[in-house]
Amino acid sequence: MDLRMKRRDPGGHQAGPMRTVTDADGARLDGPGARGAGAVLRPPRNRVDRRAVPVWTIELLLLTVPVAAGAVAAYWIFTSRPVWLGVLTGGFAVLLLGLAVHTPRAHHRLNRWEVTGEAVYTRTGWFTHVWRVAPMSRIQTVDTERGPVKRLFGLADVTVTTASAAGAIKIEALDHELAAELAERLTAMTQATPGDAT
Amino acid sequence: MIAWRPLHRRSLAASAAMSTAIVVPVVAVLIRVLPRDWTAPVRAGVIAGAAVLVVAGVLVFDLLRLRTTAWRLTGERLELRSGIVFREHRSVPRDRIRSVDLTADPVRRALGLTVVKIGTGEHTSGERTMLTLDPLSRRDAEELRGVLLWQAGQEHGGDDPSRDAPLAVLDWSWLRLAPLTVWTVAGGALIAGIAYKPLDALGVDLVESGAAAQLWEGVTTRPWPVIPLLLAVNVLVGLTGAVVTFATAWGRYRLEREPGRLRLSRGLLTARSLTLEERRLRGPGLGSHGRSGPGSHGHRGLRPHPGAAMTRRLRATVVSTAFLAAVAAAAARSWSLPPPWSWSWAVPVLALPVTLWLAADAARGLGHALGERHLVTRAGAIVRRTVALDRGGVVGWTVSESYFQRRLGLITVSATTAAGDGHYDVLDVGAEEGLDLAARAVPGLLGPFLRTPGPLRDGLGGELLDPFSERHGV
Repeated sequence: MDLRMKRRDPGGHQAGPMRTVTDADGARLDGPGARGAGAVLRPPRNRVDRRAVPVWTIELLLLTVPVAAGAVAAYWIFTSRPVWLGVLTGGFAVLLLGLAVHTPRAHHRLNRWEVTGEAVYTRTGWFTHVWRVAPMSRIQTVDTERGPVKRLFGLADVTVTTASAAGAIKIEALDHELAAELAERLTAMTQATPGDAT
Repeated sequence: MIAWRPLHRRSLAASAAMSTAIVVPVVAVLIRVLPRDWTAPVRAGVIAGAAVLVVAGVLVFDLLRLRTTAWRLTGERLELRSGIVFREHRSVPRDRIRSVDLTADPVRRALGLTVVKIGTGEHTSGERTMLTLDPLSRRDAEELRGVLLWQAGQEHGGDDPSRDAPLAVLDWSWLRLAPLTVWTVAGGALIAGIAYKPLDALGVDLVESGAAAQLWEGVTTRPWPVIPLLLAVNVLVGLTGAVVTFATAWGRYRLEREPGRLRLSRGLLTARSLTLEERRLRGPGLGSHGRSGPGSHGHRGLRPHPGAAMTRRLRATVVSTAFLAAVAAAAARSWSLPPPWSWSWAVPVLALPVTLWLAADAARGLGHALGERHLVTRAGAIVRRTVALDRGGVVGWTVSESYFQRRLGLITVSATTAAGDGHYDVLDVGAEEGLDLAARAVPGLLGPFLRTPGPLRDGLGGELLDPFSERHGV
């Protein structure tokens, strides 16, 4: 598994003399700034649960299969079925399904999270990489959420909100017991960290 | 262990009462739609069945909701479990609670129920940001309000600032200001417009019934008395509406100061009461420095962004121009459009100098600086917007790097804050510089997650306390 991940890693593009740091998984996850001598955002420590891949795949298929099927049906019923449009429609459907199968794997490889005594830190994104940090002292609510598919696989999401409308941090697809424990700890830590009047 | 508490069961009665709002239109439509050759008992049976089905559906949903929702208040936090399909467990530390909002519409009021919304002062108005307990008994709600904001009161307890006199009460002479809205003029016509569809469903067709035709005839034959009369009726309806709306919304308005908090109550029919912690009221730490013209890109003190930001904008402009021209050319060819349109592909190409100039200006406009108290960021082509954000008001960082930015060594650093837009961005800054800026702007926040590449690196980086890394390691 490690070898395949190394080969497929989208971070491995060759753009100049990059100094990427390899972490334990072999996935090159170092953040921006990796090419210079300055500081780099290091990847958060923890990966999401292995079960996230089937869960996300099912969730995406539930979304994309009807759309793809609708497109093909519309082509078949409402048009005079020209070849070029058929190729286009077929390509669209295959692309959707391909994304539904591939994206969860990419996300599982790339999404990371970490909770320290002072902050919550996550890394998400495949095409656009996003790192988020929120300090304990500014955390206002801690939520856990379980959709139907996630419940089937025993997973849960944890969302942490701050005073900002743009500041919610979501840690997706954790084992539900771990999620409950994490939420519990986060609330306790938030409680212990004096808040400020924001 | 403090036990989980359910919502109030009388909610079922409220839901049943509310469901008439669905039953009435359903029955009305059924009366219209059912075939007339059915016998009266059959029609009555079908209609009654539909009504029962609607009420039962609403009740079952509410019952499920009540059964799956539970809340509890512990010494440290308020917790809420909810969701029939999507299970949710929310928890708010008590010292983060900023406001408690009690709302009772007439139905719930009659049943002695109150909806409690607990806010943490988040900026958006979305439901997600609030914990909603729908409903509690009025006594429980008042008690919860008192308990939740008690701490705040204690801290200010020493000199009890006169709880007797309210800061403001409703002065009914304010009512004369109520009609000063556009609705007074538009009111009557608006109501007629809104009422048209439901009346149509009920079989009252204003247009076909001849009422409209008669009215029109009246207007054309005797315009003098009819038109002023119509206008007068319109204004009268609008006026009544405005006054009634004002009275129901603001009747019994009172603003009171309780120790350490403000309490606002209002509403004749739906009683609302909002309590805020006084010490949380403060202005946002945000300043928007004047919008300056195109000549001001040499603003002193702001660091310009790397040339790659310029490259990125110019490249994007050229690529999108080529794409637009190609699409226009393809369209002109495939539909063989006549001459003026067949040249449409030239438009984006001819505009290229202007768009390139705009792109370059946007790149030159980028800048940032770190002051003693503020983080300053500037962006925009032609109209430049400079924002100075109080460093103490930064509640988190979002660093993003798109595929294209990655290739150019750029990142966007976004400071999240409670003020204004919720986040302020430093666009397309050099990766190292941006991270350094964020690390210095709020010491100790982003810093622990940075590591310097080179011999000092320890592979895993960081010697931070991480309660989860041992057991659930990478």
